[in-house]
Amino acid sequence: MSSDQFVQYLVSGITQGSIYALVGLGFTIIYAVTNIINFAQGEFVMLGGMISFAFFHSVGMPLVPAILLSILIAAAIGAVLYLLAIRTAKRASTVSLIIITIGAAIFIRGIAGQVWGKDFVRPPFFTGDGTFSFLGAYIHYQALWIIGITAAVTILLHLAFSYTMLGKALKACAISPVAAGLVGINARTMALISFMLAAALGAIAGVAMAPLATASYSVGVMLGLKGFVAAAIGGFKSQIAAVVGGITIGVVESLAVGLDWGPFTSAYKDAIALVVLLVILLIRSSKLAKEERPG
Amino acid sequence: MSDIILETRGLSRYFGGLAAVDDVNLGIEKDKITAIIGPNGAGKTTLFNLITGIYPVTRGEVLFRGISLNKVPAHQRARLGIVRTFQNVLLFGNMTALENVRTGQHPRSSYGFLEAAIRLPKSRREEERIALNAAKYLNMVGLGQYAQENALNLPLGQQKLLAIARALATEPRLILLDEPGAGLNRLEKNDLSDLIHRIRDMGITVILVEHDMPLVMGLAEKVIVLDTGKKIAEGTASQIQKDKRVIAAYLGEDEDDI
Amino acid sequence: MWSVVKGRWHWGAIALMLAILFSVPFDWFLGEYTTLAIFIGINTIVTVGLCLLMGYTGQVSLGQAAFYGLGAYISAILSKTYDVNPWLAMFTAAVTTGAFAYVIGYPIFRLRGNYLAMATLGLGMILYILFRQMAQYTGGPDGMAGIPYLSVGGFAFDTPFRRYFLVWGFCLSILLISQNIVNSRTGRALRAIHGSEAAAESVGINVAQFKVKIFVLSAVYASLAGSLWVHHLRFVSPQPFDFLASVVIVVMAVIGGLASIWGAIFGAATIRILSDEVLLRFGEWDVIIYGLILMLVMIFIPEGLFVRLKKIYEWLRFKYAQKRAEP
Repeated sequence: MSSDQFVQYLVSGITQGSIYALVGLGFTIIYAVTNIINFAQGEFVMLGGMISFAFFHSVGMPLVPAILLSILIAAAIGAVLYLLAIRTAKRASTVSLIIITIGAAIFIRGIAGQVWGKDFVRPPFFTGDGTFSFLGAYIHYQALWIIGITAAVTILLHLAFSYTMLGKALKACAISPVAAGLVGINARTMALISFMLAAALGAIAGVAMAPLATASYSVGVMLGLKGFVAAAIGGFKSQIAAVVGGITIGVVESLAVGLDWGPFTSAYKDAIALVVLLVILLIRSSKLAKEERPG
Repeated sequence: MSDIILETRGLSRYFGGLAAVDDVNLGIEKDKITAIIGPNGAGKTTLFNLITGIYPVTRGEVLFRGISLNKVPAHQRARLGIVRTFQNVLLFGNMTALENVRTGQHPRSSYGFLEAAIRLPKSRREEERIALNAAKYLNMVGLGQYAQENALNLPLGQQKLLAIARALATEPRLILLDEPGAGLNRLEKNDLSDLIHRIRDMGITVILVEHDMPLVMGLAEKVIVLDTGKKIAEGTASQIQKDKRVIAAYLGEDEDDI
Repeated sequence: MWSVVKGRWHWGAIALMLAILFSVPFDWFLGEYTTLAIFIGINTIVTVGLCLLMGYTGQVSLGQAAFYGLGAYISAILSKTYDVNPWLAMFTAAVTTGAFAYVIGYPIFRLRGNYLAMATLGLGMILYILFRQMAQYTGGPDGMAGIPYLSVGGFAFDTPFRRYFLVWGFCLSILLISQNIVNSRTGRALRAIHGSEAAAESVGINVAQFKVKIFVLSAVYASLAGSLWVHHLRFVSPQPFDFLASVVIVVMAVIGGLASIWGAIFGAATIRILSDEVLLRFGEWDVIIYGLILMLVMIFIPEGLFVRLKKIYEWLRFKYAQKRAEP
C-alpha cells in the first residue's frame, strides 16, 4: 500500500470511527447516570439520518432546520423511551431492562421500516459534495464535518460535565443516586436528561453521517453494536476512552480492509468489532476469576 | 485438652488497605458451643466469610480437622462438613419450606443431570432418602406442619429456624450461626437456645455470632471477643464479662486509659 | 412449578392433550396445519432451553440462534457433504455444540448482567458471520440444499405427516426430560441458585458449574432443534440464525415464562401463529409486534405471560372451590 492509500484509509477510518465514538458516548452517558445499557442507542443514529431526510425531502424544509428538528425529535423519543419503558418498569432487573431496550430497538426499527421502507436515502451534504486534498488523500468535506463535530461534542461534553451544575449533577448521580438525592438532585430527572442527551448525540451522529454513508431503517444495529464496543473499551465509565476506542475501531476496520489482511475481506469487517468485544469481555472475565474465591 | 476442630493461624483479610480481620488465631473445640462477640464492625461476619470460603484469605490460614482450607472453594466446604446460616436468612424464596431443607441434602447426595433426566433407580432411591432426612430435620426445628408452605410466607422467627434446618440437612460437623437471635422475641430465643443445645448434643460443633448477651451467656461454653479485626479476649462467659479490654471495646474507651 | 402429575383430573388433561396432539396431522382434524405444527414443535425445543437458562440463572442469552445454527449446519454438512448417517450427524452436532457451550460457558458465566448478555450477543453474531462467510463448507449466503431425510431402516421421514410425529416425539421427550430434571436434586440446585447464590454455595452447590451445565443443556436442545429443522426443510441457510432470530427466541421464552417448561409450547405456538398470520395480512409488522411484546411483557409481567396466566387460572380455580364450599 502506498502512503497515499494509507492516509486515505486512515482518514476514512477516523471518519467512520468518529461515528462510533459519538454512539459510544451515548452509551457511556446513560450507563454512567443510570447503570443501564440502552440497546436502542443505535436506533437513534438511524432516526437522525432518516428524520432529517424526511423533513428535507418530503416536506421541503431547508437543511439546517431539518437537522435541528430531527435532533430534537430524537431527544423527545429518547425521553419517551425512558418515561414509558424504563421508568414504568420500576426496579426491574438488569436482564429485564436489557430485554426492554432490545424490544424498544426492534420496535423503532420496525416502525421505521414500515414508514420509510427499506431504501437507502442520502440527505444533502452540509457544504456540498466535494473533496480536498490532504497528504495525498482526498478527504470529503462531510468527513471533515463528522470529525469536527465529534471533536467539538467531546470537548463540550467534557467541559459541561466538569464545570456546569447540570454536568456535575449528572456525574453525582453516577457516583451515588442516594447521595445525590440527599443534596437535592432528582435522580429520575437526571436519568431522563441522560436519555435525551444520548438520543441527541446518536441523532447528531446519524445526521452527520447520512449524507456520506447513506441511511436506511436498518443501519442502527451494527452502529449500535460498534458504539457499544467503543464504550466497553472505556468500561462504560470513561468518555475519552469511548471516543478513542471508537476511532480506533474505525481505523482498524478501514486498514484491515485496505491492507487485505488474511481473511479480512469487507464481509469480515464487522467481525473486527466483535472480536474486540470478545477480547474485552475475556479480559474482564479473567479479572473476575482472579478476584474469585479460593480454589 | 479437647480436640480442636477448627483452627485459624494468623488469619487476615484486607480490603484495600483496611484490615477487616487482622492476624486472628483461634482454636475452636469440638462438640462445644463457642460464641464470637464484639462491637459492630469488629469483623465477626468477615471471619465467618473467611471460614466458609466466601472471601479468599489475604494472609494466614484456616484449618479444619487439620486440613488447610485455603485452596478449597466455598461450595466444597459443605461436603467437608462446614455449614453456615446468614444474618439476612437467605432462604430460597421460590421453594416451599420442605424443599429448602431438601436442598440442604445436596452435599450428601450425588446423582446428576443424566440420572435425573431419565429417572434412573439411583436417583429415585436417593430422592427417597433425601425426602426422609429433610422431613426429619424440618420436624426437629418444629416446623413440620409448614412443610408445603412457601418459605417466605413464614414469619421471621420461623424463617430463621428453617434456615437452621436447611443447614442441619447438610449433616455438618461444624455449624456457624450468624446472629440467629436477631429479630426474635424472648420466647423464640428460648426455643432457639434449646435447639442449639440439641444440635451440640447431636455431636455438631457450634460457633455463633451474637449480640444478645443473655442468650450468649446461657449458651456459650467459650467466648471469643473481637474488636476492629483483632481477637482481644477469650474465655468463659463470666471471665470475659469482667475483662476490662472487652468492656472498653464496647464502651469505646481508649485502651491506654485502663 | 407445575408438576405434571397431581391428582386424577390432571391425568385426564394429559390424556386429552396427547389425544389432540396425536390427531393434529390428520386431514379430518388440523392436517393442513401440519407444517406449522412441525415448526412449533422445533421452536418449542429451542425455547425450553432458553426458558430453563433464563429462569434458573437469571441471565439472558441473546445468541441462542448460534447453537440452533450450529446444530443445523453440522447436521447438514455431515449428512450431505460427507454422507454420514443423519442420526449420527445429529448426535455429533449435539455433542459438538454442547462441548462448545461448555468451553465458552465458564468464561461467559463469570460475567454478569449486561456484560454476559453482550457476550452471548457477540457470540451469536460471530457465528452468524461464520455461517455466511465460510462458503466452501456452508454454502455461504445461499446455503445448501439436498440434505437427506432422517430414516429408520427403510422407513424415511419424507412426508410432513411422518415428520410431525418425529418432531413432536423429540419435543415431548425433551419436555419430559426437562420436567424430570427440574423435579430432581439438580432442579432444586438450579432453583436454589436463582433464589440465593450465596446460600446455594453454603449448602454445597457449585454455582458456577451448574450455570454452565444449564447453558450446555440449552445449547444441546437448540442443536437438536437445528438438526430436526434441516432434515425437515432439506435446506440450510444462514438467514434463520441471525440476531433477530435470537431475539425471537427470547420473545418466545418471555411469553412462555421463564423457568416454565410446558409454557414453552405456548410461547412457541403463539409467536409462530402470530408471525404467520400477521405476515400474511399486514406485511412486516411482526418485528414491530415482537418489540411491543418484549417491552410490555417485561415491564408488566416479568415472570412471563404463560406463568401469569397459570396463576390467574389457579386463582380462579381457588375462587371456584371457595364458592362451591359455601352453603
